[in-house]
Amino acid sequence: MSNDDFRRELGHTFDDVAGSPSSNLRDRVRSAVTQAPEARGPYWIAGVAACVIAVLIVGVLYVANRPNPPSLVAGGHETPSASPSPEATASPSAQPTAVPTQSALPPFVCGSTTWAPSQPASTPYTEHISDLRTGVHSGYDRLTITFDRVPGQVEFHPQSGTAFTLSPSGMRATLKGKNGILIVMQGTDMHTSYSGPTDIVTGYSGLAEVRRVEDFEGVVQLGLGVNGAACYRAFYLGSPARLVIDVQTAS
Amino acid sequence: MEQRPQVLARAVEGDADSFSSLLEPLLDQAYRLAAVMLNDRSSAEDAVQEAAIKAWRKVRQLRGDSGSLRPWFLSIVANECRMARRTRWWSVIKLADVKSPAAEEPESHSDLHRALLRLTPDERLPLVLHFYLDLPLEELARTLGVSQSAAKSRVYRAARRLRDDLTIEEVF
Repeated sequence: MSNDDFRRELGHTFDDVAGSPSSNLRDRVRSAVTQAPEARGPYWIAGVAACVIAVLIVGVLYVANRPNPPSLVAGGHETPSASPSPEATASPSAQPTAVPTQSALPPFVCGSTTWAPSQPASTPYTEHISDLRTGVHSGYDRLTITFDRVPGQVEFHPQSGTAFTLSPSGMRATLKGKNGILIVMQGTDMHTSYSGPTDIVTGYSGLAEVRRVEDFEGVVQLGLGVNGAACYRAFYLGSPARLVIDVQTAS
Repeated sequence: MEQRPQVLARAVEGDADSFSSLLEPLLDQAYRLAAVMLNDRSSAEDAVQEAAIKAWRKVRQLRGDSGSLRPWFLSIVANECRMARRTRWWSVIKLADVKSPAAEEPESHSDLHRALLRLTPDERLPLVLHFYLDLPLEELARTLGVSQSAAKSRVYRAARRLRDDLTIEEVF
């Protein structure tokens, strides 16, 4: 078979196999192209993907920085001590992110009080103290304890004298001042997020000294040395979670 | 009459009518390519239609001028034929559709016809492009996605499967 014959016969063979397209193939294709989604598939898919990613990022950021953790101020309740003072019925203030006005603050109390969240966390966790700050104000000195999250139960125990038992060593420590307030925070630690001083001598007229008495197995105790009567008020603020203790002064 | 580059530009911008008008001159060749690869005329038309839709969706990826359109589209058609064959092997085959070997290679077919059908679709592809569609070597290579020398050797190797005394000079 010559080369030309081969080409000719191959052409006929192709014709036999293929035949001719049906007359409506052109219309079929045109219709299919017209009705097919536009040639922007990858773009709208990218748009949808971008929206999904944005929603996820916003969600993660929201969860990570929840502006208002459940606050003991709004949801907490006060458990009077066995020997409550008449003022121990103080109610918590409304939950603000800034310090509320004086009229909105609870009254000072001189007895023991216990605070606990009304809705305890479903999974117990250890809260971390991240900061301690003190300050002087008209009529009170203030200690602000900042947490990563809302702490669990907190007890306040005023006492005569400023001697506290350090735990777990059992040693005694005497703080500045005449009277003391022992703050007991359950489910809390002061060594994970906190790196500041553990003994703060303020020199203030009311709150003389703040000292860590215990930081062991999820319990933190702070001893406050107070120059006058061990009367105080406490309330919580959100964003970040803070426990504010005002120690009453004479002025 | 509107120039092809302008029509192509409009097609790339998303004008379906422009795109269809660009494809229409290529549909006959696309069908012949698919029909030989698949050895099934009905499936060939389906493959061309699917390839047209895929080409429409990918038209933004088309590089070059309107001369690039034919090898680009034919390569999509060839891919669609490969896909169609892959789909076929697991799809349900009705008993009536099962052909006996004798039916596939009737006595009336020439030796060349039978030899052609014994080739794999990928072996038939360079033969169709060269001997049937008469594509220039450059377009043939672009359709196959290989260099021109590789395209030459594929055509020659497949042609030798049909007639073993062919020389490369007789093929090109």
